[in-house]
Amino acid sequence: MKYAKVAFEDVTVGDELPPLVKGPIEQIQLTRYAGASGDFNPIHQDEAFARAAGMGGVFAHGMLSMGFVAQAITDWAGAGTVRKLGVRFAALVRLADVVTCRGRVLSKSSKDDVDLVELEVWAENQRGEKVVTGRVTVALASRG
Amino acid sequence: MPIQVDRSVVGKEYPPFPVTVERGKIKEFARAVGDLNPFYLEDRVGAASAWGDVIAPPTFAVTFRDERADAGALLRDLGVDISRVLHGEQEFEIFRQLTPGETYLCRTKVVDLYEKTGKSGPMAFVVRETAITDRTDEIVATMRHVTVIRL
Repeated sequence: MKYAKVAFEDVTVGDELPPLVKGPIEQIQLTRYAGASGDFNPIHQDEAFARAAGMGGVFAHGMLSMGFVAQAITDWAGAGTVRKLGVRFAALVRLADVVTCRGRVLSKSSKDDVDLVELEVWAENQRGEKVVTGRVTVALASRG
Repeated sequence: MPIQVDRSVVGKEYPPFPVTVERGKIKEFARAVGDLNPFYLEDRVGAASAWGDVIAPPTFAVTFRDERADAGALLRDLGVDISRVLHGEQEFEIFRQLTPGETYLCRTKVVDLYEKTGKSGPMAFVVRETAITDRTDEIVATMRHVTVIRL
């Protein structure tokens, strides 16, 4: 299933994305993500800073979790298929958390010769709490 | 006593800034997420693809910033400290794939600011939108970024 490219005709409303499990989250990944993204907010790096800010310790960049969700989508739909992806960061992701990304097909439509599939997507931690919720629209190719 | 945010920031447009997508930054970003998709990482796969090169992952545009500007400009405009800031929501709309070597122009505007009280207390939400265009001024992608400030 990895790096699959699903065809529009093979998608049915209600289909679920193959779950993508990421983590456990380590500090080094947050440091790498800071460097790669340019977001050096110390709240993701410095335990003392994060505690003093009242956050109870370091937590992951929301954008890292959104990156995980995007990966779950493109592993299934193919790279370059995402037309629109919007998420809300519902809860913090902490060090040692395991994040599982999931999704479900909500609708299919065709507009201007483009075949679109809309899914609800979310990520949850090891306790089943949603940490990211959102929606995505992907443009899929036909089986031809 | 909750802090006050400066509401006059709504409607503010930041100076447009150019970004040139670098091949190595795409790969560094994909690896940092742990997304080892060959369409992001392998030049030969990219060259043989419909895009003729590797492409950026869907959230890559979040790396776009104005290198000449002060990274703390928004917070200073709002009058808040970085320790009070959380990322509330994020959206990308992608009309064309971002590819290495291309130069884009980014225009960011503060479009809304509202306050709500959540379970952890009063919060302000600052909504910014960024339009990313190519050299011919055609829209390539947009971003919508909601910053939450714990008041």
